[in-house]
Amino acid sequence: MEKAKISAYQLFVLIVLFELGSALLIPLALDAKQDAWLTILLGMVGGFFLFLVNYRLFHYYPDILPTEYMQKIVGKSFGKLLAFLYILYFMYMTARVVRDFGEMLVTSAYPQTPLFIINALFLLVIIYTIRKGIEVVARTGELLFFILFLLGISGNILIVISGIVDLNNLQPVLEEGIMPVLKTTFTQTLYIPFGEAVVFAMILPYLNQSKKGKRTGVYALGFSGLALTLVVAINISVLGVNLTTRSQFPLLSTIQAIQLDNFLERLDVYFMLTLILGGFFKIGLYFYVAITGIANLFNFKEPSKLAYPMGIVILILSITIASNYAEHISEGTRFISLPIFLPFQVIIPVSLLIIAFFKHKKKRGK
Amino acid sequence: MKRKWFLLFLILTTTSLISGCWNARELPDLALVSALGIDKNEAGKYVGTFQIINPSYVTGGLQGGGGGQGPPTTVYSSTGDNIYDVTRRLSTKSPRTLYYAHTNLLVISEDLAKKDGITNILDAFERDFEFRTTAMVVIAHRSKAEDIIKTLPPLDKVAAVNVIKTLKNTESLLGEEPTVNLQEVIHYLVSPGKEPLISGLSLKGEKKDAKKVTNAQGSSTPKARLEADGIAVIKDGKLVDWIHGKTARGTGWVLNRIKSTIVNINWEKEKAAIEYTVVRQKTKVTAHTKKGQPKISIHIHAEGDIGEVSVPVNLNDPHVLRKIEIEVEKTIKKDVHDAIHRAKENKTDTFGFGEALHRSDPKEWNKLKTDWNDVTFPKLEVDVTVEAFVRRTGLRNKSYLSELKNNR
Repeated sequence: MEKAKISAYQLFVLIVLFELGSALLIPLALDAKQDAWLTILLGMVGGFFLFLVNYRLFHYYPDILPTEYMQKIVGKSFGKLLAFLYILYFMYMTARVVRDFGEMLVTSAYPQTPLFIINALFLLVIIYTIRKGIEVVARTGELLFFILFLLGISGNILIVISGIVDLNNLQPVLEEGIMPVLKTTFTQTLYIPFGEAVVFAMILPYLNQSKKGKRTGVYALGFSGLALTLVVAINISVLGVNLTTRSQFPLLSTIQAIQLDNFLERLDVYFMLTLILGGFFKIGLYFYVAITGIANLFNFKEPSKLAYPMGIVILILSITIASNYAEHISEGTRFISLPIFLPFQVIIPVSLLIIAFFKHKKKRGK
Repeated sequence: MKRKWFLLFLILTTTSLISGCWNARELPDLALVSALGIDKNEAGKYVGTFQIINPSYVTGGLQGGGGGQGPPTTVYSSTGDNIYDVTRRLSTKSPRTLYYAHTNLLVISEDLAKKDGITNILDAFERDFEFRTTAMVVIAHRSKAEDIIKTLPPLDKVAAVNVIKTLKNTESLLGEEPTVNLQEVIHYLVSPGKEPLISGLSLKGEKKDAKKVTNAQGSSTPKARLEADGIAVIKDGKLVDWIHGKTARGTGWVLNRIKSTIVNINWEKEKAAIEYTVVRQKTKVTAHTKKGQPKISIHIHAEGDIGEVSVPVNLNDPHVLRKIEIEVEKTIKKDVHDAIHRAKENKTDTFGFGEALHRSDPKEWNKLKTDWNDVTFPKLEVDVTVEAFVRRTGLRNKSYLSELKNNR
C-alpha cells in the first residue's frame, strides 16, 4: 500500500467517472425494453447496499487493504487464496474494459487500425498514470470530471433543443409487469455498473477523512445512477426501443441523431470524448487496484514497477478474451453475471462482513 | 544518460504512432457523395447512382470566376448484387474513394419500392459507420432514381441540397410532405403499429435535358425541374399507394407534422373565399378500449391568421371570426377524415394508431398486433375533434372589397 491520501471530493469524482465509464458505452439493461431506466434505478439502490457492506468492512479495518483483511477474517491461507482470486477478477475486468473501448474505437472511428494497436496505446497512457500513483489519478480525475460534466450538460441540451426526444417511446411503462425489470436488475444492472464499485474497497483506505467515506460513496453512486438513468431514458426516447436494442453503441446513435438547423450535426466527437474520459478512469482504477493487490499480497515494495509487465498481461488478455465483439458483449452482460459478478461483488463481501461482525462481537465480549 | 536516450526514443516512436496517420485519407483522394440513388435493372441487379460534388465548381470565389465552367456535381453509377457490391464496384470507375459522411439524400426508385420493397436495401446504410442515418429518404415518383440524381437544378447548385430544401419548404409552408430520414423509416418499418410514409419526388419537364449544365443556365425557366410530388405509403416494406394534396395534408394533421399550412374555406357559396393560415398546431392521438373494441380519439388544436379574403366580409366582428373558425374546423375535419378513409382503404396504419394503442393498453395490443393492418385498422372507430382559432387578421381588418360593395 503506497503512502498516499485522497480527499472526499476526489473519491466522489473517481466513483462517478468509474461508474459512468463503460456503462454509457454499452447497450445496458435493454432486456427490460422501455423500462431499462427503471432497472438502473433499482440497480442503484442495490448498489447503495453493496457499497455500505464494503464500507462497513472498511470501518472494521480502516488502515489495511481488503487483500489483507481477508486474511484476518477467514484465516491466513484461505484469505490469501481469496485475495488472489480478487486480483484475478480485477485483472479480468481491466482487460474487459480495455476491450470495450478498443472495440468502440475500431467500430466507430478507426476501421482499418488493428485492435491490438489501439489497446496498446490506450494502455500505455494508463500505465504511465498508474505509475504515478493514486494521488495523480485522483487529481487528473478532478480536472477531467469538470470537462465531462460540461460535455454531459451541453450534450443533453443539444439533444433536447434539436427536438428529437419523443417521450412516447418510453410508454407503456411495465408492459409485461415488474418481473422482466427485476430479472434484468438482478442479472445485469446490479452488477454493471453498481456492483463494480467493489473496487473502491481497495481505494477507501487512502481516504484522508475516513468518516466522510460513507456519505461520499452514496452520493457518488446516486449521482452516477441518476445520470445513467437519464442517458438510458434519452437513448430510448430518441431511438425507440427497437433501434436502441439493435445499436452496438446506443449513445453514439443518439448523438448522431442530433441535427440543429443543418449546421450543428455529426457531433460524434462528443461521444468519443466522454467515453475516452470515462474509460480512462475505469481501466485506470481497475488496473491500479489489481497492481496494489498484487504488491500487497506478495509483499512487493514498489507497486509501480509492476505496471509495465502487468500491462502486457492485460493487453494480451484483452485481445484473447473474445474472438468478436458480439461474443465479448454477451459474455459481459449475460454469461459472467452469475458465475463471476455475483460471488465477487455480492456473496464474498457480504459473507466477509457477517464473519467480521461476529469476530468483533466476540472481541468486544472479552 | 541512458535514461535520457531511452526517453527520447520513446517519445519519437509514440509520436509517430499516435499522430493518427494509420488510415489517414487526404481530401484530394476522397469523392464526397452528396446523394445516392438506388434502382433495379432488368437483370435484377441493383444500380447505384452516386452524385459526387465537384468542389472547384461549387465553391468558386477566391479562384476567381468559380462556378459555371463545369457541372457542380458529377454522377457515377455501377451495378451489383447488393448495396455493398454496388458501392465497391464503383472503384473501377472512380479515381477517388467515395466518402459517405456527407450524403444526406437517398433516392429509391418507385419500381424497386413497388416490386421488391425497400426492406432489403437499408441495412447497409444503417450498419456503415460513415453513412449517416439522418440522411433524408425519398422515392422517385414516376421516374428512375437515376434521373433524379442526374438532374442539375438551378438556384442551389448541388442537387441533393436543392431537393432537401424543396421538401423541407413544402413541409413547413404547405404541410404536405412529412420528410423522413433513414432512422425513422427503419423505425416505422419495424414497428407493427405504424407504417412509414416517404416523400415523393418527380422530375418534370424534358428529362433528356435534365443532366445538362445548360438546364440551369441560359434560360429563366429550366427545361427540367425536380418537384415534391406526393407521399408514398409503404406497407410491409412495399409501396402500395401515393397520396397527394389534401389527403396528404390530412395525414400531416394526424401526425402532428404541420408546421404551417393553408386552409381554404367556402363562404356563402363562394368557393375558397377565405384563406386561413395555420401558425401553430398540436395534435393529440389517444387510444382506449371499450368492451374489447379499440377506439382512437384525435384532438387537433390549430391557431392561425386570415391570409386572404375574396369576399366582402366584416373581419372586425368577433361573431364573423367565430363563424370562420367553425368553417375551418369543418374543413380540417374533412381532410383528416379523407386521409383516414384512404389509409383504411389501403389497410395501412400510417398514423401510428397501433402505437397509440400499444401505449395505452399493451395487453389488448398484443392480441391485436398480428393482423392490425389488415383486420382491425380498417374497422377502427376514429373520433376527430378540431379546435381552430383565428388570432389575427393581418394588417387590415375589413377588406377593400367591402368598400367596393358599399359604393355600388
